[in-house]
Amino acid sequence: MEAFEDDNPFENDVDRLSSEASSTSRVNISAPSSPPPSTAHLVSPTISHQSRPFPSPGTSRQPQPMYKSDFCCNRDRWLHSGGDVEILITDAQKTTVHSTTPYIVYVIQAGTAEARHRYSEFESLQSSLRKLYPTLIIPPIPSKQSISDYATNPSKAKEDVAMIARRKRMLQTFLNRIARHPILSNEHVFHRFLDGEVSWTEVLHSPPLSLLPKNILKAPSHNPTDQSVSPAYEALPNPSATYPLRHPEQRFIDSEMFTNKFANHLNGPMEKVSRRMLKRWSESAHDYSELGAALNGFSLNESGALASAIEKTGQAVDATYMSTTRLLQELEQNWAEPLHEYTQFASIIKKLLVYRHQKHVQYEMTKDTLENKRELLEEYEKSEREAKRLEEALARGRVDFSPRPEGQEENEGPEEPASAYLPPHPEPNPYRRRAPGMGFLNALSYTLHGMMDVDPETARRNGISKTRETISQLEDALHLAAQDLKYSGSTIQADLDRFQRQKVADLREMTISMARSHRDWCKKNLETWQAAKREIEKIPDHPNSMPATQSGKGAAGPSNTRRDSSATVNGR
Amino acid sequence: MHGEEEDVFDSVTWESASAPYDVDHTAMQAGPGFKQSTAGAEEPHGPHDPKWEGYLITIVKDPVKELPETKDAYVSYLVAAKTNLPIFSSQTPSARRRFQDFVFLRDHLVKDFPACVVPVLPDKHRLEYITGDRFSPEFMERRRLELHRFLQRIARHPMLQRSTLLRAFLESTEWHVYMHQHLAHPPGPEPAPGLIDNISDTLLNAFARVRKPDERFLEMRESVDKFEDGLVLSERLWNRIRGRTNDLMTDYHDLAVAVQGLGFLESGITDPLNHFSNTLLEFSALLRHKTQTSTDPFLVHLHSLLTYSHANRAVLKLRDQKQLDFEELSDYLSGVTLERDRLSAIISGHAGSSGLGLSAYLKDKVDAIRGADDDRSRVEKMRKLDIKIKELQDAVTTAHETSDAFSDETLREQKIFQHTKEAEMKEMLSNLADGEIEFYQSAIDEWDRIIPIIQRIRVDV
Repeated sequence: MEAFEDDNPFENDVDRLSSEASSTSRVNISAPSSPPPSTAHLVSPTISHQSRPFPSPGTSRQPQPMYKSDFCCNRDRWLHSGGDVEILITDAQKTTVHSTTPYIVYVIQAGTAEARHRYSEFESLQSSLRKLYPTLIIPPIPSKQSISDYATNPSKAKEDVAMIARRKRMLQTFLNRIARHPILSNEHVFHRFLDGEVSWTEVLHSPPLSLLPKNILKAPSHNPTDQSVSPAYEALPNPSATYPLRHPEQRFIDSEMFTNKFANHLNGPMEKVSRRMLKRWSESAHDYSELGAALNGFSLNESGALASAIEKTGQAVDATYMSTTRLLQELEQNWAEPLHEYTQFASIIKKLLVYRHQKHVQYEMTKDTLENKRELLEEYEKSEREAKRLEEALARGRVDFSPRPEGQEENEGPEEPASAYLPPHPEPNPYRRRAPGMGFLNALSYTLHGMMDVDPETARRNGISKTRETISQLEDALHLAAQDLKYSGSTIQADLDRFQRQKVADLREMTISMARSHRDWCKKNLETWQAAKREIEKIPDHPNSMPATQSGKGAAGPSNTRRDSSATVNGR
Repeated sequence: MHGEEEDVFDSVTWESASAPYDVDHTAMQAGPGFKQSTAGAEEPHGPHDPKWEGYLITIVKDPVKELPETKDAYVSYLVAAKTNLPIFSSQTPSARRRFQDFVFLRDHLVKDFPACVVPVLPDKHRLEYITGDRFSPEFMERRRLELHRFLQRIARHPMLQRSTLLRAFLESTEWHVYMHQHLAHPPGPEPAPGLIDNISDTLLNAFARVRKPDERFLEMRESVDKFEDGLVLSERLWNRIRGRTNDLMTDYHDLAVAVQGLGFLESGITDPLNHFSNTLLEFSALLRHKTQTSTDPFLVHLHSLLTYSHANRAVLKLRDQKQLDFEELSDYLSGVTLERDRLSAIISGHAGSSGLGLSAYLKDKVDAIRGADDDRSRVEKMRKLDIKIKELQDAVTTAHETSDAFSDETLREQKIFQHTKEAEMKEMLSNLADGEIEFYQSAIDEWDRIIPIIQRIRVDV
């Protein structure tokens, strides 16, 4: 969608979308049984879009300065300056400002601006963005319950250093992910968060955040804070997340299935194993440090070459302890934390897809209701015509019909209200279901009843005008729902595509850094073990060994034995 | 044969010189001078320095199941050696022996060389006998290694390496005949038991402590203690690390499976992720390999060295026992002498002025009441005491000599043990270091290989 490259996609898009959407909805109504042609219509922009390089977190800022001419503020200008901007969390300080209990503020540095925010403010920024952009993948923030304590022991202390360091890292990632998002980076709320000039409470209580509707399902997808929105939104139903769709879109079924699998896999095997592995490494590190100390103590008791050999071995073990600690840190930062972040991403995407699903249900429900209303109207009009005809006929021979209405009324009477107030629900008219042949009889009884009524003419007329009104409102709502569905479908799809690329890039980084960390770990340990080995070689040989003169023939003896035991060691 | 025997046991005779304890390391390094007799061997070395007459390199290999399919099946090992020791008739003796033969060898070496640290044999591993696993290749290989180490330790011992028993063990074709002979006519002078043993047995107090502890042995004891502590602690910690490594092995395996699963989901990068998964698997395999080929043998050796050190400690304890014998005997002797002196004082009429204190006075009084207070019985008693004193004096002299000789022998034994210990520590640590180095090198290769593969993932972000 061009919308994504636009610096201000939503406002520009609305007009075009509405025209497209209205035509779509009309098409749908005319051919309700076949799969909505809008699907193809909706798909096409995304497909064409996929072939184009999507502005990605890394490069998005390159093309944007070209479009972007009106910066909303300095942060905006800085974020889209084209350079490789990086938001830093430079510090985490304990403070008691505006509070009775101490808390941690994170010092955020974005270019020249410095802002201080506490964790809860990040939390509210995140949830605000989620409400503002119901169709975008808002990056996660570290979970409240610190992403488990793989390495360090769980400590309830708020000041837990490791936890703060982890939060610091992950919050920084969160901010940078927003800064690199092609749309989110333009959000002024985010800019104000970075600027830190106004207090966050004030931002929360001023537009656009103060304008957020209670139920975002009854607000436009492209801009839930739009105040000039049509009242027809109120007419949209509020479906549950599990309500089944009659004409689901295959690609979103696929997306939902994939997201579920992905979430389960990440949350299950990946994270569990990684956590266990990190725990094990931390235990190993502890053991190595103990063993290193033990060997050093051991060496003190010995003398000469043996002592220094043991000491060097102890140093190698000590070095292993150091390198393992390092490895552990790197694995935690570059493997476990991103992994956890992606677990969170998965659940965010799940919610996103639920939102779209609900939008789709809204559309289908509205369409059904509209159809029912139209049928009802037809019914009214038919009976109106019937009544007129009857009236005409009665005018000609009123006497013929007189005895029958009594019995008829008793039988059919109770069902009458049902037909008068057709439920505004997708279910088809129960009357029609029962038997098509009843149509005439119904119409007849309706007419007769109308004739019996105090003022049948007025009631019918009222019904007709009311239904017409509802229909026109529903038509508006359907139009809006179609528009929203189309918009959220394509936007979510586009952001999913962007997310997929980001995921591949991150997985690449994660695996590379894991390989590198392990390699560095091996290298460090290799060096110290080689040093130890050199020292071990210095231990004098036992006096009971082959004299040098005979070694040519004799050395084969002991070295053979030794190789026997170590043959497998060297021969791999 | 007889002459050689004498030769061998000459070296065991204890030298009572108390020359400086310091080792002349360089002299000892040049040590294995090829002296064929021990007679002149004292001069170039300190008396406590061990001397190697030549070399004896032994191998235990090639375990074979004998009499298979019968209930008498057993495993025999090829015992071979390379040597330049004159006691051997061949430079490359070899024979096939079974575990029981090793047991015989050890039992009789212990008997014949009480002051030497005779290495300990591996356990009989009863469980394997019951389950029948003793013919499994793993068991046979483990036992072979243990027996090899046992024989190597004996061969490294300058005295044991020249014992006739070992010679017969290594080259005799009539080992069974020899075993019987050896039982019937144990070589060497039986250390005259009789009185010393009898008395010392009665005096022996398990809780007694050496009253005049020898600084040298105190130090030695302490050092042995520390060494064993070091070994025990290392063993415990290394075992723990081994356990962790095993756990990590499983973890990396599981992670590999998980990454593979992720590869299935991420259709775009399935291939690189599979490669990465393989690397994780490979790393897990390397961890396993390291544990099996380096850490495990190391731990076995560590434990074996610990048992050897226990044997060494036992010899040190035996030395203390000898000193204790001497001290207790001396005490006893002085007590008896005192009693005799007192009696003679009474006889010569100086009872009151004997100044022997309250207890002696009371004893006299009691004797007087019992009517045993006549000089004749006293003279009789004194005569008996005199005989006892004579006996005890001899015993004390012998005990003193034994104790001193044992001390000297122990000092030398410690040197020998130190040598073996160093050699084994070297072998052990060096194998361990080799294993670690090999592991890290292979692992570096593995990780290096995967990085470019992943880097090839195209990212258009």
